[in-house]
Amino acid sequence: MNSLPTPSRPPLRSVLLRSRKHTILGVDPQKLIKYFFGSNASVAIIVLVLIMVFLLREGIDFLPTYQRELQTYRRAGLEFCDIIDQPLQRNQALSSSLRQAVSASLETLSKPARDRRDAAFLLKRQVEDKTARPRESLTQALEKTPPAPEQIEVFRRELAEASAAAAKALEYPAVFSAAEREQLQREFSALTPEVTDLPPLVQKLVADFSAKDREARTKFAALVTAQEEFEEATEPLQEVVDELKAKALETKEKAVEFEVLETNRKRLLEAAATETDPKEKASLTKEAEESVSEAVDLEESIKEITGRTAELREQVEKYAVVIEKAAADLPKDAGTGAARTLVNDVREGIPVHAREMRAAAGKLEGWRWDKPVSIFSVIGAFFFGTQWITNSSWQDFFGFVPLLTGSLVIAAIAILIATPVSVVAAIYTNQFASEREKEMIKPVIEFIQAIPSVVLGFIGISLVGNLIKDVSEWSWLQWVPGFPIQERLNMFNAGCLLAFMAVPTMFSLSEDALNNVPRAYIDASDALGATKLQTVFRVIVPAGISGILSAILLGLGRVVGETMVVLLVAGNRIAIPDFSAGPGVIFHPAHTLTGIIAQELGEVSRGSSHWQALFMVGIVLFAISLLVNWCARAVARRFEPHKA
Amino acid sequence: MSADSTAQSTPPPVVQVRDMDFSYGASKALFDINLKVEYHRVTALIGPSGCGKSTLLRCINRMNDRVPSARVTKGEVLVKGKNIHDADVDLTQLRKQVGMVFQKSNPFPKSIYENVAYGLRIHGEKNKSVLDEAVERSLSHAALWEELKDRLHANALALSGGQQQRLCIARAIATVPDVLLMDEPCSALDPISTLKIEELMHQLAKEFTVVIVTHNMQQAVRVSDYTAFLHLGKLVEFAPTEELFTNPREKLTESYLRGTFS
Repeated sequence: MNSLPTPSRPPLRSVLLRSRKHTILGVDPQKLIKYFFGSNASVAIIVLVLIMVFLLREGIDFLPTYQRELQTYRRAGLEFCDIIDQPLQRNQALSSSLRQAVSASLETLSKPARDRRDAAFLLKRQVEDKTARPRESLTQALEKTPPAPEQIEVFRRELAEASAAAAKALEYPAVFSAAEREQLQREFSALTPEVTDLPPLVQKLVADFSAKDREARTKFAALVTAQEEFEEATEPLQEVVDELKAKALETKEKAVEFEVLETNRKRLLEAAATETDPKEKASLTKEAEESVSEAVDLEESIKEITGRTAELREQVEKYAVVIEKAAADLPKDAGTGAARTLVNDVREGIPVHAREMRAAAGKLEGWRWDKPVSIFSVIGAFFFGTQWITNSSWQDFFGFVPLLTGSLVIAAIAILIATPVSVVAAIYTNQFASEREKEMIKPVIEFIQAIPSVVLGFIGISLVGNLIKDVSEWSWLQWVPGFPIQERLNMFNAGCLLAFMAVPTMFSLSEDALNNVPRAYIDASDALGATKLQTVFRVIVPAGISGILSAILLGLGRVVGETMVVLLVAGNRIAIPDFSAGPGVIFHPAHTLTGIIAQELGEVSRGSSHWQALFMVGIVLFAISLLVNWCARAVARRFEPHKA
Repeated sequence: MSADSTAQSTPPPVVQVRDMDFSYGASKALFDINLKVEYHRVTALIGPSGCGKSTLLRCINRMNDRVPSARVTKGEVLVKGKNIHDADVDLTQLRKQVGMVFQKSNPFPKSIYENVAYGLRIHGEKNKSVLDEAVERSLSHAALWEELKDRLHANALALSGGQQQRLCIARAIATVPDVLLMDEPCSALDPISTLKIEELMHQLAKEFTVVIVTHNMQQAVRVSDYTAFLHLGKLVEFAPTEELFTNPREKLTESYLRGTFS
């Protein structure tokens, strides 16, 4: 034991002193390494803070800008016009329904005659197309002075031959009888550029159709008259509204121009004030003086608009009376079932529309041009505005609701699809799969994350869209609401692809959550005689539920923030989806918070109200993501009994 | 030999292990085990770490089935006269007859009530009054009813360690098993909780047959009627507890009890 030599001990003092050999710039390398790691971690935090600051800096000015714009909108009288003009939009829909009903009704009688006429026109056109060159040559020869009769003769023969050949080669549809086909062929062969009248049989076909059409119009006289009355009723009112709108727009443009020049002048004057060079200063001041425009007398021009309130009200009242009469005159019956439905819809729609118009007219008196636009109403106009209209010649509106609805509906579809798939897959992989299956399933699902989202969008356009459309046309699936679908690119399509993208996140996190369930719970359940399924559903899943919920929420975060797929696949219609369609609404197109930023930010001028509005959307998106992530963490912490 | 003589006057053993060999894949863990567990008696399994006492315990309710490649390679295990490895034995029913309590308390993250009712629920019991009755009876047996009757719907994980372990006992006896297996039930508990559980065991023996694994020889002396000493996978000695501790027949037992293993 004591055979080993004891190493010589250093003197006591030097043992306790810090070694001075290994220092860099006087700092202990241990500390340097610590600082290095710490600074790397803080970079992430700093970047996050910078993002927030940047978003806020660009976006927060939106509210005052939009406030100014809305103020101008009111002061120039645009708002006044919209009081009547907005409800008047409904007129278009009613009118188009009526027109459809009328033409469907008329067609019941006149369709065969019209088809024959149209077929004849089409055939004639085909012959003319095929013989265009000889005809052109002949026309030129005829116009030449002095005329060359021989040449004309040659061209005439050529044209006749070409016409004959073309007329013979035509495919005559079955609507013509054999004799008619023959006659048509003869007539088409004889077409010459001099004769502008239609060939006799074609003329007869035209006359046939006119007769049938007249007959149909007599038969459905009530419907036709009602439709005409309705259309005519709109005109005087629309005229007045259009005049007022033109005036308001003119005022607005002047006001905007004045404002631009005014800001410009102020900026020049400021520059001049700080300029030291007297020459420069003089030129700046001069420029500023030139940048003066006449201030618009808003009060004066608004009087021109509000002065016609009484007239406008009178017109609205007249309009309402006439359309109500037209509604009362609408016949009970129409040519076809579809037309009858349309007519009934219009009959019910008109009184509602008339009521709305009257109510709108009542609001005109209460409207004040100089009522200030409060910041709260601007916030309301953004967060609860139902219109997102940009680059409009009339007025831009930045309403958030259509985008938010689109995003939420798509996210909901995606989560509803992805949750069962990923959670069930996680339960299977964690509890039932053999080791070999696990080794296969996990990497494959995790690989989905590596697929670029633009590729998925491409798949959505080329594959999923067509697939959904084809499936929606299967006759035995017609009970599904919304089938058959109109648009290939819609919210359901986007939701499916986003679900696919969310699966890896949700699967991996759910699987982790199940993995974290203590082994002891499973022991206890097994020892009590529970079957595997009982253990899974009564013990493991309830114990892992917090992790699973938080996985779902993080999946939701991923889905809400995803851009490329929704931009490509969601259909990009900026309107609140029509929820009156019931669950079938998911097959309508929509736009999203992320999509709108990606689509429009590149095209707007920096600093404009549109630019700021997009940043505002970005801020809200950021807030939603933060909230979702925070909820996910809170949920994970809330139900984590086995870690307590 | 005295164990055999008592067996003739009392009903047949509830658990009987006959000439059993057990192995984990290629490595053999138990050799030629013979053991009889009598009704309403506490039987203790003692022995040094890794001697196979827990494995033997888990053979009785086939908990070892969950380990792939673990197998009884020779002999048989009879519970109430039935070979538990027969093809017609329902594992669920076996585990209903043979309850188990683990080394570390493992209540589910559910309410106290749900923990106790779990065993009955998975065996299809839905009647509320039956469940209520079973929960009260089981908690009373586990000496918890008075403490917990007012907060049956509190989370079981809020209980103290000793309470949790007694709750696990209540959960195991709720299905009224014949045999209750306990795998070092006090090893993670403080002395007072341990004392309570030891007291409980005497009570439990009136209703159930208890097999307990313990590394604490004093505990074996205090609670058990019979003791089996295992060493390196072999059952060295099995005798009434008093006899085994005061007058061991085997030298190996004696040296283990004295704490002088060579």
